[in-house]
Parts: sequence; C-alpha cells; structure tokens
Amino acid sequence: MAMKIVALAGNPNVGKTTIFNALTGMKQHVGNWPGVTVEKKEGIFEYEGERFLVVDLPGTYSLTAHSIDELVARNFLLNGNPDVVVNVVDATSILRNLYLTLEIFEMGLKNVVVALNKIDLAEKKGIKIDAKKMSKVLGVPVVPLDAKDGIGMKELKDVIVAVAHGEVEETPIIPTYEPAVEREIEHISKCLEGTKLVSKYPVRWLALKLLQRDEEVMKLVERHLGQEGLDRVMTHINEVEERYGKAMDLVIAGQKYEFIDGLTHEFMSYGRAGGEPFTDQLDRLLVHPVYGFVVMAIVFYFVFKFIFVFGLPIQNWLAEAFTDFGNWLAPHIASEALRGLLVDGIIGGVGMVLSFFPLVFLLFLALSFLEDLGYMARIAVLMEGILRKFGLPGKAVIPLILGLGCNVPAVMATRTIEDEKDRLVTMFVNPFVPCSARLSVISFLAGLFFPKESALVAASIYALAFTVAILSAWLVSHFVKGESGLFVIELPEYLVPSGKALLLHSWERSKEFVRKAGTVILVGALLIWYLSNYPVPIGTGGSYAEKLGHLFGPYMGLMGLDWKAAVSLLFGIIAKENVISTYGVLYGTAAAIRSAMTPLQAYVLMAVTTLYIPCIATIGAIRAESNWKWAALATAYMITVASIVGILIWHVGLLLGWGA
Amino acid sequence: MNMIVPLSELRPGESGVVINLQGGPNFRSKLYPMGLAPGVIIRVLDRFQFGPVIIEAGGTRLAVGKNMAAKIMVRKL
Repeated sequence: MAMKIVALAGNPNVGKTTIFNALTGMKQHVGNWPGVTVEKKEGIFEYEGERFLVVDLPGTYSLTAHSIDELVARNFLLNGNPDVVVNVVDATSILRNLYLTLEIFEMGLKNVVVALNKIDLAEKKGIKIDAKKMSKVLGVPVVPLDAKDGIGMKELKDVIVAVAHGEVEETPIIPTYEPAVEREIEHISKCLEGTKLVSKYPVRWLALKLLQRDEEVMKLVERHLGQEGLDRVMTHINEVEERYGKAMDLVIAGQKYEFIDGLTHEFMSYGRAGGEPFTDQLDRLLVHPVYGFVVMAIVFYFVFKFIFVFGLPIQNWLAEAFTDFGNWLAPHIASEALRGLLVDGIIGGVGMVLSFFPLVFLLFLALSFLEDLGYMARIAVLMEGILRKFGLPGKAVIPLILGLGCNVPAVMATRTIEDEKDRLVTMFVNPFVPCSARLSVISFLAGLFFPKESALVAASIYALAFTVAILSAWLVSHFVKGESGLFVIELPEYLVPSGKALLLHSWERSKEFVRKAGTVILVGALLIWYLSNYPVPIGTGGSYAEKLGHLFGPYMGLMGLDWKAAVSLLFGIIAKENVISTYGVLYGTAAAIRSAMTPLQAYVLMAVTTLYIPCIATIGAIRAESNWKWAALATAYMITVASIVGILIWHVGLLLGWGA
Repeated sequence: MNMIVPLSELRPGESGVVINLQGGPNFRSKLYPMGLAPGVIIRVLDRFQFGPVIIEAGGTRLAVGKNMAAKIMVRKL
C-alpha cells in the first residue's frame, strides 16, 4: 500500500518548518520541485507503526498563478492528491492567514486540518481564540498549537491520522460574495458546464479564478473551450466590470476579508494588549536609515568572519588531506596513465567538491539563522531603495558581500530572494565580485608590478569589478522576464531560532549542493587535467593546454597579452589562484614574470582575471540554483565583458603612453 | 474629515481604511493576500525619507515600497 501523503500549507513565517520538523524528526530530505528552483522538503511521519509522507509546500500568502512558489503549492493541492492538508495558521494574524485558508477551501478540498500555531504569542497580544468554536465555524478540525515548545503536537498528530483515514466528516465553509458577484460565478459556471474541466476541478473555483483573470486557469479553459469560448467569457467579465465600475478581483478580495472578519467575531475576541511590542521597538532601530545600516554592517562583519574564519581553514585542510591521500596512493598504482587520472583527476576533483562543503554548510547555517531570526526581512527593507535602482533586490546585498569571500556560497545565498527574476539577476552578476582567490592574484601582481602604489591599484580593480557588476545588473534586469519593483514584505516577529532545526536544514541543503554542483566541478577538473597532461605534460610545449593557448594567442594579443596568459586563464577556470601558479610553471620565477610583462600588461591581466569567467565551482553553483542555460549564459557574458574591458584598458593605456 | 489619500501620505501613528489599489492586476493580487484589500484597516508604524512605509495590517507588520504605497488609496481615520 502506498504511503498516505500529508501536505503542509501556510503563509511564510507561521512556524510551518517547526511543525514539519516536529512531525518528521530527523527523517527528512531537501530537494527541488521538478523543473523549478523551488526548494522541496519531504519527510516521514510515523504514527503507531503507520508511515506518512509529509510534503512541506512553499510558504505562500495565496495560491495565485503569479509566482512559482504559489503555483507549485497550488498544483500540488490540486493534482498531488494529498490525503491530508495541514494548513498552518498564525494565531497572531488570523485575518490575513484565513485568506489562504479560504482559498484552500474554495479549491474544494475536504481533508483540511487547521494547525493554529503561536497560540501563546496571541495570548500575550491579548487575542483570545476559542478553537472549538473556530472549528465549528470553519467546518474543519482546528488544533491550537505552540509548536516551538511542542505543545499541541500530540493532538495534531491524532487529528492528521484521523483525517487521513477518512474518520472526520468535513464541511469547509465557502465564502459567499455579494449578489452581483454570485450571479457572475453562476453565469460562468454555466458556460463551463459539460466540459471535462468540471470533473477535474470545482467549477466554483474555476469561475472565481476566471473573474480574477488567473492566467493558468485561463489557459486551462482555452484548452477545453477553445480561444473563442474563453474570449466569450472574458468579454463578459469586461462588460460586468465596466457596468460595475470596479475590477472584479478588487471586489472579491475586499469581500473575502469582510467575510473573514464576520467569521472571526464568532470565535475571537481582543483583550488588552500590553504596551508596544518588543519587535516594533527593535525595528525602530534595525530599519532606521542610519542606525539600521550600522547594525547591518556589524552583522555582516560577523557573518563574514563566521563563514570564512571557520570555513577557509577547514577547506584548506580538506584540500590538503585529499592531496596527501593522492600522494600516498600514487606509488601504489603501476600504470602511469591510470595514476594520473586517479590521483590528479578524480581525487583532486572530488577533493575540490568536498572542500567547498564546509563553506557552504556554514553559509547556510548563518543564513538560516538570520532568516529564522527575522532579520533577513529587515535587510531587504534597508537596501531595497538603493539596490533597486540597479535592478537588484534589497536582499542582493548579502550575496554581493559574501562574494568577496567566495562566490560559491554567495550564489547559494541568492535562494533567500523570493522573486525569481530578482534571484536570476543577482546570481548572474555575482561572479564579478572578486573572491578571495582573485584577491591573491590581484595582490601578487599589484605587489610585483606596482610596488609603490599596490593598494591603490588593487582598490581600482575592486572598484572596476563592482562597477561592472552593478552596471550588468542594470542591463540584465531589462532582459529577464518578470515584474520587479513590487516591494512588499512581511516583517515577522523576532524569534530565537531552534539550533537543532538550523543544523538539520543546513546539512540537508549542503548535501544538495554537493550533489548538484559536484558533477560540474568534477567534470571540469577532469577536463583540465586531461588538457594539461596529454599528449605530453604541460611545460614541454606540446600539451593540449599549451596548443589551446597558442590558438588563443592572437586573441589575447588584442589586449596585449600572449599565449601564456591564455593557458594561465584556462587553469584559472578551476580556481582563480591557479592563474599565478600556472605563470609560475610557464616562466619559472617571479623575477621572470616581472621581466616578461609591462605594468600595463599586468594591469590588464589583473582586470581580465577578475572578470573573465566564474570558476568551475561557481558555474556549478549557478547551475544548481538555476539551470544549465543560465550558467552558460553567465559564463559567455563574463568572457565577453572581460574581453571588452581588457581590450579597452590596453588600448587606452597605450594611447596614454603607459605601454612601456 | 474623511479624506482619501495615498498610503504614502499617512504619518506614523495614523490609521486608515483601504479604499482602492491603483495598480495593475499583478500588483493587486500580490497585496490582497498580505492583508491589503478594500475595507481592511491599516496603521502606519514608521516612515522614512527614502525607504518603505512600515504598516500594520491584520495583525501583521508589512514594509511597503514607496512607489507601491503611493498607489494604495486609504480613507484616513
């Protein structure tokens, strides 16, 4: 017998994850919904020997077709055949939460359990809710909970199982609208009668969604009624709105809240709330246009320290451990070709993938902490005004800063950005932010060629990189589909996150990173290893890498560089610090490098190394967070930009007489 | 006086009833489920020169972008 499915639905910040963890314990898995980059969490819930599959739907305020998250949740509720739908409702903001609840009811589901969470906080705010009455009014079981402290979980489990076994008769309340709206619902319902749609979806829901001009439902109707049939319905709706002088969706939304307001009077009452809430007081400081930035800078400082001070040594240690292992293994392998492949290619590649694990894990830990704490929303509020001018969302500030350490966790950090378009643009420009590996290249070359003003030269490269990133964001945001700039965000109550949940979730997310980005990194490492060892090892002039370098030599000449730069940059794709070590292999000593290039050429090399391509791990991360196409596009774009910038610097420099 | 003004013109501490949302359908459908629909009472908690307006609606704290706040018409209470 197949496992019964329990779906968790609810607004963001209502404690859905806490309930998910409490139901499933350690038995959970983080992945992606098929075809989209929306995180999917699944787990197993056991009750008296019976196992249930718990699916955590994306936290959404509504179930429209406007965002991927909402569409994912809606499609699962409509087509995923959940046996129980647990709708988590925040007792401190019943009015808004019931909006989603009624949408779920309107979809015709009759297996809903309302988990009324944060009942303790509601009481503190002076909100009194009679759960029994609420259950009677809504027509579905209501379980009051304080999930954080595990209060009410036993009852919730009992009810979930009872509903799953069909032991509960539900009569979910369906909102009624004013006669004019009801008449239209009836009219549209008649138009849809006789189509196959009606057997698959509740006809009232279809009619309501058409009145609200839901694009997905319009497509559905077009498929079943034809373009003409859809046009007839939509023309009718236009006429009604004209007569009415108001958009139907506006009327429906207003009346839905009026309906909810009426319901709540039957089971909810307000007592006296004590003073100004702590969150409001704190927000006065944290989103303040001056103090807010100060606090944010301090928070970033610690996040940066936390990730890189702990992460980088572990990363180096892991990388060394793999090298040592390879060195130990090498003498035991007789065949030279096999030894190279195994030691340099596979062990080196796997070592590199795993060496990123600590960085990514610590990043997710820090991010989840800030998110669960409620601070992430405040950062978005602070930065939105500034970054939006360049086509970036407020939350992009986090990846931009993390990129200074390593672009891999920075790209992963874009997943905290809700809007798909914003997310894509932010990860597209992130690799331009110079990571610590590029810092090593920049400081080496700046020190060697500009000993007197090395800091200024290095700073100019950083300024160049950030300028390119910001301008690119502005440019790219004009080409990505989607509406942005609709900034409205909830500022949740500040909460102390649960340590166990943080660790568990970060661990699962990091595993997902290794699985998805790992293949890209491994394949890239193997390819570069092959190019540098066949047909003969690099340094002899006959390797494929060097031949490839010669092939690109004339192109590099456009920016004043030679074939050796091409080879070095090729190896830089694996990791940017390789650019210098490859120069070392090709030239021998730093002095030799110094005499082989002019300062202008060195400057071009610095700029190009900083801009030319995301390293293979970053490409893997972009792929993991979006898709192959986007990763390829970002790579191609960076190569183009780096070429243009390199050629410009070289020729402008020559014109100014800095060539010598 | 029952003036109808954009939300962006309310000062901290002032309340109003949402009367109309003057944006496109995407704009509107994003606001409804967050508690901003006709008839809902909102209260302005904070407002900064260049940043968003921070309001309370239906028991929730929301930050609304300046441009959006200019399109939300409320009747002052």
